Amino acid sequence: MDGLHDLFTVGFATALTPMNLLWALIGCTLGTAIGVLPGVGPAVTVALLLPVTQSIDPTGALIMLAGVYYGAMFGGSTTSILLNTPGEAGSIVSALEGNKMAKAGRGGPALSTAAIGSFVAGSIATLLLTVLAPMIATLTLKLGPVEMFALMVLTFAAVSAVLGNSPLKGVISLLMGLGIGLIGIEQQSGQARFTFGSAALLDGIDIVVIAMGLFAIGETLYTATYENHLKARVESLSGRFWMSKDDWRRSWKPWLRGTAIGFPFGTIPAGGTEMPTFLSYSAERKLAPPEVQKEFGKGAIEGVAGPEAANNAAVTGTLIPLLTLGIPTSATAAIMLAAFQQYNIAPGPLLFDTNPDLVWGLIASLYIGNVMLLILNLPLVGLWVQLLKVPRPLLYGGIVVLATMGAYALRQNWFDLLLLYIVGLMGFLMRRYDFPVVPLIVGLIVGPMAEKFFRRAMSIHQGDLTVFLTHPMSLSLLIITLAILIVPTYLKRRQNYLNKP
Amino acid sequence: MLKRVTGEQWIALGVILISLIMAWQITGISQSTGYAGIGPRFFPSVIAAGLLLSGVILLVQSRPSKHPATEDQTQDPDHPLDYAPPHPHWRMFGMASAALILHMSLISTLGFTLASTILCFGICLALETEHKIRDLILSFLLVLGLFHLFKWLGLNLPALITGGVI
Repeated sequence: MDGLHDLFTVGFATALTPMNLLWALIGCTLGTAIGVLPGVGPAVTVALLLPVTQSIDPTGALIMLAGVYYGAMFGGSTTSILLNTPGEAGSIVSALEGNKMAKAGRGGPALSTAAIGSFVAGSIATLLLTVLAPMIATLTLKLGPVEMFALMVLTFAAVSAVLGNSPLKGVISLLMGLGIGLIGIEQQSGQARFTFGSAALLDGIDIVVIAMGLFAIGETLYTATYENHLKARVESLSGRFWMSKDDWRRSWKPWLRGTAIGFPFGTIPAGGTEMPTFLSYSAERKLAPPEVQKEFGKGAIEGVAGPEAANNAAVTGTLIPLLTLGIPTSATAAIMLAAFQQYNIAPGPLLFDTNPDLVWGLIASLYIGNVMLLILNLPLVGLWVQLLKVPRPLLYGGIVVLATMGAYALRQNWFDLLLLYIVGLMGFLMRRYDFPVVPLIVGLIVGPMAEKFFRRAMSIHQGDLTVFLTHPMSLSLLIITLAILIVPTYLKRRQNYLNKP
Repeated sequence: MLKRVTGEQWIALGVILISLIMAWQITGISQSTGYAGIGPRFFPSVIAAGLLLSGVILLVQSRPSKHPATEDQTQDPDHPLDYAPPHPHWRMFGMASAALILHMSLISTLGFTLASTILCFGICLALETEHKIRDLILSFLLVLGLFHLFKWLGLNLPALITGGVI
């Protein structure tokens, strides 16, 4: 329980300074706005804020970025419930029941159960983070470069194979990310790799350019080419806004179950929030009494409460591997890691010793942010609904301007804008042919770290590749990796075989 | 129909091409500094080989079915062929691309505000806005606001004239 002690002595003392409270408020507000706007996700926003945060102190900046990350999850549910176009991946499931509820004039209770469920799940998950993170950090101190490399390989396999429809496409996306991560001066030997003789590539391609290109530019090109004629209707908030006694009675168990499903999923490298939200939805559907089961598909409140809680708990869960191991398991977490790197802070087991005020301030701000978000999202929800009325052409115009601005501000070089466009074309093709993006982002950020650990392991063990198989921990990690890669393909084959007449 | 190269096969060919370019570039990285056989070439080689292999597998996998005639013609509604999305509007794709290219070539001479107004309005046109005049004016005001907001936040953006308001 050392965590709780540190939280109250160091954490809240840091988070409750007026400046840091302001950063948390800015982050939460911005995050909610971003989450509400269709087509913009937390990953883009965090990436966009990277250049701006360079002039702020690290603690304030990370508190703000965490607020954005969190806020986007709260805001995303508003969009999926009222517009039926999820703002981010974790809200897809909420759209199923939530939008039906809104159509039936129960938009208010749907939004309330989403917001309160997110608050409950976020608070419980943050408490778990407080208690577990220092313990896990102590354990991970014992991991050497061999184990760290094996762990990274496992992360690569999990994010590529678990997400998306085709593990092969995930692997290609991952390898592209790893390849892009190699561009530039290699740190140990000082050699330039894949720069094609261009001085502009010596520093590598910035994560801002990649994230903006893939998400903002790629998305805009895709919308202009394929989806511009899809019309979506904003449901109005009519009828009773607050939850009835019956709504509360039906919501609290799904909130808790959602939290229990979401949090562990966040901590393992299964790439984010889609899986836990889908699992929570199907669990609620199965557990519901027969008379409620009939309501599923027509607007059952359980189908909003559970997945929303799972979503938020998973987001908080991703902070465990990020803070204790320095390994991001989702696109947004990967960009958060880039933010740490920007300040030359390496998240990992030592972070709790070297930067206690930063890490505890960050965790304390999550508690505060949760309260802020509940207030921002419940009484003020009408304000956010107005954002859904921004005309789509202008919305995308603004996103593209912000993206180019983020890329250009790095070095005032038009070459970065060209790179941004090329990455945008890549994002367009990936979207069109159903390649998942998360493996690319994770590969790009974790790849250089993996190479460093690999070479460190090799220099300790005189270039003996078998160390990865003789260390028991690394061997078990690699066996899990192999299982993740092989089992799903095998199951699919088998199913196809059995389905054949 | 069988001879037609599908989109996914083009992607596979692209992946293979990238792996070959990588292989060619790896030959330019000097090997000497490696310790215990693990030099700066090792990781790139593994990744290039991985890309080549997965590109080839994708190429083989996405080959059109050999016996299309014997298959039932009814299509699985969940998996339409080649994930065909609705009709593509390549003119709009071109418009968005043109706006981005114009922006990158003009930003250092016209400054951030004017170049980005062109970009924002170009994207509005690519998304077939119905209110052209309104969006042009709003594009300019939005970009002007962003310019001053980020200048205030300490971001260095080019103006038309050094220190100018646009």
